[in-house]
Amino acid sequence: MAKVVVLGAGVAGHTAASYLQKYLSKQHQITVVSPTSTYQWIPSNIWVGVGRMTAEDIKFDLIPLYKKWGIEFLQAKAISFYPEGDNDTNSGYVEVEYTSPQKFGLKQKVPFDFLINATGPKLNFGATEGLIPGQGNIASVCTFGHATEAWKLFKEKLDKMKNGQKQTFVIGTGHPTATCQGAAFEYILNVDFEIKRRGLQDLAEVIWITNEYELGDFGMGGAFIKKGGFISNTKLFAESYFVERNIKWIKRAGVKKIDAHKIFYENLDGEYLEQNYDFAMLIPGFAGHGFKAFDKQNSDITDCLFAPNGLMKVDADYTPRPFEQWSVQDWPQTYQNPSYPNIFAPGIAFAPPHSISKPMTSKNGTPIFATAPRTGMPSGVMGKVTAENIIAWIKTGDPEIKHRASMGRMGAACIVSAGYGMSKGTAATMTVSPVVPDWDKFPEWGRDIKTTMGEPGLAGHWLKWLMHYMFLYKAKGKPFWWLIPE
Amino acid sequence: MENRLVIDKYSEQYYPPTPTNFTLFWRKFIPFQILRFIILTLKIIKIVVKGHS
Repeated sequence: MAKVVVLGAGVAGHTAASYLQKYLSKQHQITVVSPTSTYQWIPSNIWVGVGRMTAEDIKFDLIPLYKKWGIEFLQAKAISFYPEGDNDTNSGYVEVEYTSPQKFGLKQKVPFDFLINATGPKLNFGATEGLIPGQGNIASVCTFGHATEAWKLFKEKLDKMKNGQKQTFVIGTGHPTATCQGAAFEYILNVDFEIKRRGLQDLAEVIWITNEYELGDFGMGGAFIKKGGFISNTKLFAESYFVERNIKWIKRAGVKKIDAHKIFYENLDGEYLEQNYDFAMLIPGFAGHGFKAFDKQNSDITDCLFAPNGLMKVDADYTPRPFEQWSVQDWPQTYQNPSYPNIFAPGIAFAPPHSISKPMTSKNGTPIFATAPRTGMPSGVMGKVTAENIIAWIKTGDPEIKHRASMGRMGAACIVSAGYGMSKGTAATMTVSPVVPDWDKFPEWGRDIKTTMGEPGLAGHWLKWLMHYMFLYKAKGKPFWWLIPE
Repeated sequence: MENRLVIDKYSEQYYPPTPTNFTLFWRKFIPFQILRFIILTLKIIKIVVKGHS
């Protein structure tokens, strides 16, 4: 009997757990450890944040599903890793602390033969002074709870505008090296859409603030797309979207501090500037969870398992190199820890070898650039591949890893919502292939120009809406869920 | 584009392309968008299949 422990029940962790239970016989034990007992479809947080959906529409309770699937579920958070066990046990284990009301604060050792660390990022709001969601005029759409509060705040601002008060909305990145620009981009477009839908645009100033060198970078170095007889960069695509909507932008900005009415930022020219606001939604920096790791003698081996940013080391090439020497070969394919091959880290939990966008530093030495994103689709694929490799290992006893999924090979589709509505909604359908540009294989554009595209229109909204229901159907394990790809 | 009138000349916002009314019409025209929905779905499936292989 093999014990497989999955830390995290987000896209990567839940996908891995789904396939493990489907393809492993019941004699094997699967345990999922997650601080919350709900699964949330994060891409739809955007619609919760503008009142078009509620939190209930985008989440469901995992406990009945895991019970049906025969998965042990522990509502707890991981604290420390003991991959070799300790003096009392030879089996590797994770020390967890319960977060459920019944057992809150209790600690437990969870032994494993295989461990999937899919704990995602720590939303590092603390890295930006004053960036506290729910405090004053600051919102977030990073979780369904944050998004629900964001809608309440947004509604307050809409009411103020209805009473004739002008409001300034600033949306974007809240840390000099934040990622996830795509989510903020969607949110600003939806906020703008809802303002215009109510005819309040004359009372609103909507501003995008970003650490991107150019708009449309999205942490993936931008992309080239073929459209209208030209091959152009996503910079033009994003700028055109904003100009069409009269959204202003501040780029190359590293937000350092935010108070009740002002955002303080530094730009790449080394200037320290301020921006007034009445409503701010700024994506925080991401970090690892600060896990510790110990060997059998209780010596600290955190450096073996984790990179300095707290994310887990996997089969990436972490050799420091200048941007010009970066390659898709640097990116991991199996998400297997090099020191402990029975530990894997798919999704946002793995430490990328470097960013995708070129790192930039201000004249004062502050790094200001977009770090690497990992959206739902790659995270799902990584989760599935990790499960497939563990299943094969358990079934054959052969530790050879056969299934691979590098971000330098796989593509990703991202539907950028720009307004909700079955006849008046809109979204930009974006695909990139591969996610990490491969300049050796595609020397002209970095990616396959035939499958990299961006197209705005109503059809995009239908796609995003369809994906919402399709992926929740899959996550709920409804009949034939496995036929729906990640 | 009526919004275009409010853009300050020589600002960053002055230069990017803006869609014409013709383009905006096609982005909303339902029969055309049904066709695009089918085409976009097929393109995404192609990417997904490639990503899983």
